[in-house]
Amino acid sequence: MPDSAPSETVSLQGNHACALGALAAGCRFFAGYPITPSSEIAERMSVELPRVDGVFIQMEDEIASMGAILGASMGGMKAMTATSGPGFSLKQENLGYAAGAEIPCVIANVMRGGPSTGLPTRPAQADVMQARWGTHGDHPIVVITPDSVPEIYMQTIRAFNLSEQLRVPVVMLYDEALGHLIEQVRVSDGGDIEIANRKWAADPGPEFSPYAAGEDLIPEMVRPGDGFRTHTTGLTHAENGFPTQDPDVVEQYMHRILDKLEIHKGLIESYETIDTNDADYLVVAFGITARAARRAIKQAHEQGIRVGMFRPITLWPFPVEAFESIIDGKRGVLVAEMNAGQLITEIERYRPAECRIEGLNRIDGETITPRQILNRIQELADRE
Amino acid sequence: MPDFELRISGSGGQGILLAGRILADALGHESLNVAQSQSYEPTSRGGLSRADLVVSDAEVDYPLASDLDYLVILDDIAATASNDLLKQNSLVLVDSLLSELCEMDGYEVCYLPISESARGLGDIRSTNMVALGALTSLAGFCSQDNLLAAVARVAPAKLLDPATRAIRQGYAITEPQS
Repeated sequence: MPDSAPSETVSLQGNHACALGALAAGCRFFAGYPITPSSEIAERMSVELPRVDGVFIQMEDEIASMGAILGASMGGMKAMTATSGPGFSLKQENLGYAAGAEIPCVIANVMRGGPSTGLPTRPAQADVMQARWGTHGDHPIVVITPDSVPEIYMQTIRAFNLSEQLRVPVVMLYDEALGHLIEQVRVSDGGDIEIANRKWAADPGPEFSPYAAGEDLIPEMVRPGDGFRTHTTGLTHAENGFPTQDPDVVEQYMHRILDKLEIHKGLIESYETIDTNDADYLVVAFGITARAARRAIKQAHEQGIRVGMFRPITLWPFPVEAFESIIDGKRGVLVAEMNAGQLITEIERYRPAECRIEGLNRIDGETITPRQILNRIQELADRE
Repeated sequence: MPDFELRISGSGGQGILLAGRILADALGHESLNVAQSQSYEPTSRGGLSRADLVVSDAEVDYPLASDLDYLVILDDIAATASNDLLKQNSLVLVDSLLSELCEMDGYEVCYLPISESARGLGDIRSTNMVALGALTSLAGFCSQDNLLAAVARVAPAKLLDPATRAIRQGYAITEPQS
């Protein structure tokens, strides 16, 4: 590992942890257009990548950065870019290309406040739906939302693994507060972390079809220079890689790229629960808000309120079955998020009868505090 | 629960974040868990700037400051910005030039000649290090030697000598006058 002795504990900023996690996962190409509050990822990569014979490019804009990492990935490298909401908007066209043409890549979106250029240095969690639906059309995407600096490090490694294994874009989605938070992280020497790589096609025979897949629904990738005849396009394509509008072939393609996440959801889904088994009430939170909820739940327990927390780590695809089993029997759910109410729309889909679901929202560029969550937990309990 | 929370506040360009990083490093070497966060505005100079530390010998649950045990105020823009996070027994260090701007009724407040001392050392830019010395002296987070060792690890080499002098001056201004 760059910048560290074997498996040592160091103080790291969240964005630096993202960069070092990417390097540990094998990322050797970064293209980006720096933007607050994500710039430290690019900055760190610009220092570290040349040391490991990697490539760092500051591109002319956001969509070009996205294009550059797709080209690098198709060329065989593990590649990433990093941005914030305004830049994430500009990347969406090529993000869709990655989803449709099944090009592995990792995009870090360090969320700041507001629509448009908004609040450059203030946190928000308002890209929940954009991360899922920002690019047009039905498409597969994985979104991971860590809640600590050590978790940013480990989940960035996992983001690369999932992207490589599933040929799907993976978004690391966290807020400015975590991006600029400094905590202690155990940085691995590489010996104790699992690294997954994409499947490479081996036989460039005449029958080769670059988008034919087996039971796992994931086609093997073609390494340039290995003698394959191949074609890559954003147009809906047949197994041979060439465009088609044949309804049967289109439907088969669409089902395959969507179903590949469904059949591999055991690999993708991740979440944390705290004291959910005996709880009457549940807090659902992610990112920095989940850290506030941790303290609020402890304080609520001291008052005798039986409350637990469900924290999606994989935000999309949402861990539906796990959540349905946890919400079952709860009397009230508080969804705390730094936006006007985005994740709550997903939670409401799984609301059992007799369960009250309420939102705790903050849209002023400030974080939700433990006290705010505790107050709302008390209100939920008092209403019974 | 956190063992203590502190905030150093002032304006962008005063070295607020550097002071926070040095103290976080020093406390980290005392085997404490330290979560450090900061807030600043999108200007290279000016605007409210804050460095926060949440320190615990256990795992830090909520890493952002919510109830300050210590607050340092070094610029008028920060004079009242953190009052919501103070509690009755908070210790507040205020640059004496700002004494008329702060509304600190009910808190333990120390007005100290922080920027005046920095000017006396020949460089107003060392205000942050004088404040760091004074805060550490009054709060007793760690020894002066450990704080200076953190300066050597964190600060740019060219700042080591002036920062060391400024931190020592910060300790000196907290000593009772004879």
